[in-house]
Amino acid sequence: MLTEILHQMPRFFSGGHLLLLFQAMGMTLALTAIGCVTGFLVAFLLVLLRRSPGIWALPFKIAAILYVEIFRRIPFLVVTYLVLFFIQAFVSDASLFTIAVVAICIYAIAYTAEIIRGGLESVARQQVEAATAMNFSRWQTLMRVILPQAWAVILPPAVAFMVGFIKDTALVSQVGVFELTFRGKELNNEGFSGVLVFGTIALLYFAMSYPLSRCGGWLERRLASPRSQRSHQRLRPT
Amino acid sequence: MNYTFQFGVALQQLPGLLQGAIVTFELGLLTFWGGALIGLLGASLKTFGGPVLRRVAVAYVIFFTNTPALIQIYFLYYGLPDFGIRWDAFTCTLIGLTLNAGAYLTEIMRAGFISVHRHEMEAAETLGMSLWQQIRFVIVPHIAKTIYPALANFFVVILVMGTSVGAVIGVNELTGQAINISTENYRWIEMFVVVAGIYVVLTLIASLSLALVGRWAFRVKAKIF
Repeated sequence: MLTEILHQMPRFFSGGHLLLLFQAMGMTLALTAIGCVTGFLVAFLLVLLRRSPGIWALPFKIAAILYVEIFRRIPFLVVTYLVLFFIQAFVSDASLFTIAVVAICIYAIAYTAEIIRGGLESVARQQVEAATAMNFSRWQTLMRVILPQAWAVILPPAVAFMVGFIKDTALVSQVGVFELTFRGKELNNEGFSGVLVFGTIALLYFAMSYPLSRCGGWLERRLASPRSQRSHQRLRPT
Repeated sequence: MNYTFQFGVALQQLPGLLQGAIVTFELGLLTFWGGALIGLLGASLKTFGGPVLRRVAVAYVIFFTNTPALIQIYFLYYGLPDFGIRWDAFTCTLIGLTLNAGAYLTEIMRAGFISVHRHEMEAAETLGMSLWQQIRFVIVPHIAKTIYPALANFFVVILVMGTSVGAVIGVNELTGQAINISTENYRWIEMFVVVAGIYVVLTLIASLSLALVGRWAFRVKAKIF
């Protein structure tokens, strides 16, 4: 069997296929980046609405809690199918790329909203009170007191989520977006050996995911406050 | 474009979907326990193993946490027949997910191992605790407190994100059943809304009972929501 795989190799790694696979990698990265960044921004707005004072924010609060709790408990595959059929039922000419991005965005909102909320809440209450005492407006408090301290808490897990989502976009191949997994399936259907095709695809995912996750780890160490750095230095167990 | 929702059609299929939910739950449990065994082994190798074994464990974790579970399952399902090994969809999903979960659980378990400090063990010895007492009163409470919330959370992640991947190669778990039934009655939207609801209920039951077990057995305050 190994001889046949070796026999297929020159044909598999031809220029056309490589170009196709690199384009597919670009598509995977584009899906992740556009979906997650949009999701992050929307989640940020949602969290701000949720944290705003007064009775009028109550519906936002309830909606935000329900949204996060529900969408974190539904598989990404099911969300993708739901988005696909909902959009196709009401908008007849939506592109598959849009559908995939919307699905990723909906999912990313649910996860990053929790990260952002945790980050904003990590700033001590006294600081906000001090800002109020100094007659800062709500906007000034957010921009000059909360965010400068919170972003170091928010950014590392948010980046880790995005990098982790590169792998989860593989499921979007089910709706037919030309990303890496879909191309792999196509090449496999053309008759190339499954070991060869999916081994290569796995390595390509690894090539995208591993360097970026290392960058994320570096960012985390870079931004970590001295207090949380100390907790990493634990003794070896006996 | 007009679309009339007919949830009655989807709700009629509830028995079929609940069968799928049982398969989902089975797959989740088997994956979790298989992964936990691999994780225990991996974490032991990473913490106590020699330089070679430690590298093997590290390489395993890095490779499996940086490639999609779907590709790992595809490799088993479409790749292994090249070598004459043919497993059915359920076995491939189970093995693929277990290997994938094992990598994540290695990291979780290692965090637990590290949480037991040497001077705490020395203190226990000084107090004249037997080995059993050391395990019961020092090691287990420490490890449980560190990793139980992470484990409970990971079980729910497997139950949701993990098992549904099997639907792609045709395992009849919850998502797979929804796809099967929808291709017959064309009520995709309604079916998937109902399925989403079942997933929410299923995971709520799972996290609620795990939180109760944690509180009762380990006095861990696990987050339910």
